[in-house]
Amino acid sequence: MSDPVALELREQFATPEQQRETASAGMWIFLMTEVLMFGALFSAYTVYRILHPQGFALGSSEMDILLGSINTAILLTTSLMMAFAESNAQEGNERWLAICLIAVMLLGAVFLYVKFSEYIEHYHEHKAPGFWFEDSSPYANNVQLFFVFYFIMTGLHAVHMIIGIGIMAFLLFRTWVGSFSAQYHTPIVIGGLYWHFVDIVWIFLYAIFYLPGLHR
Amino acid sequence: MTAPRLSRRTYVFAYLALLALTLITTLIAYLNLGVWSTVIAIGIATVMASIVAGIMMHALYESLLIRIIVSGGIIWFFFMITLTLGDYISRGWLPVPGK
Repeated sequence: MSDPVALELREQFATPEQQRETASAGMWIFLMTEVLMFGALFSAYTVYRILHPQGFALGSSEMDILLGSINTAILLTTSLMMAFAESNAQEGNERWLAICLIAVMLLGAVFLYVKFSEYIEHYHEHKAPGFWFEDSSPYANNVQLFFVFYFIMTGLHAVHMIIGIGIMAFLLFRTWVGSFSAQYHTPIVIGGLYWHFVDIVWIFLYAIFYLPGLHR
Repeated sequence: MTAPRLSRRTYVFAYLALLALTLITTLIAYLNLGVWSTVIAIGIATVMASIVAGIMMHALYESLLIRIIVSGGIIWFFFMITLTLGDYISRGWLPVPGK
């Protein structure tokens, strides 16, 4: 029971270092498939924005830039907390590791709360695509198309956030039962990679949905 | 290769840079620069994403294997977007007989 590294070393690996790098490489490969999934949506958005620039500009001007910017700042802060969680894990400081994970989860929940209140706002303004969609501009159909992309892409991002909070809860549980030490904390690093990636997706979503409607 | 280990100072600098870039890109978005507005917004977003990937996710400090994986994903994304846009943007450049 004395050596946590030996306990966690699976038989197919020669060294803990090889095991760690394999886990990292696996997570990065998964994240690159995510790049292509979100990339397909970004490509589709780009094509339709080139085809319908007026409608997309009008749609974007419906966004609440204040809430969007606050959410961006919140997500960047969670990334910092996640990076600190990793530093604490490397130092074997389990107490601060747990505190950082809780901070990531709480801020992630605040992000989702702000995001969903934006959704409700759009719904009340009849901007949710579908039966109740209303728009008086001559580009109403294109504005609706903008909102289809908005809801699908930010919605998919929100699903990733919910999964991310679940992962953080799992990591918190494992921290609590004492699974991690200065020698072994790979799951913290892997979970962090996922969380940072979701942050990167949001950085682009902010740039394509919130910013284009500002200069009017 | 051992696990990359970055100091908290580095993370804080990266975080402050990210916040500053968010502020800058938002302020620039208020100016009407035509097509450059989009170029600048996406450019700054790319810089921010590189900071998160390179420092927060320490891709810059990882082994060659992982850097190849990351580059591969990004290259395939560029294939997808350039080939798709190559089609849509170039439509109408050449006359189509009978149309």
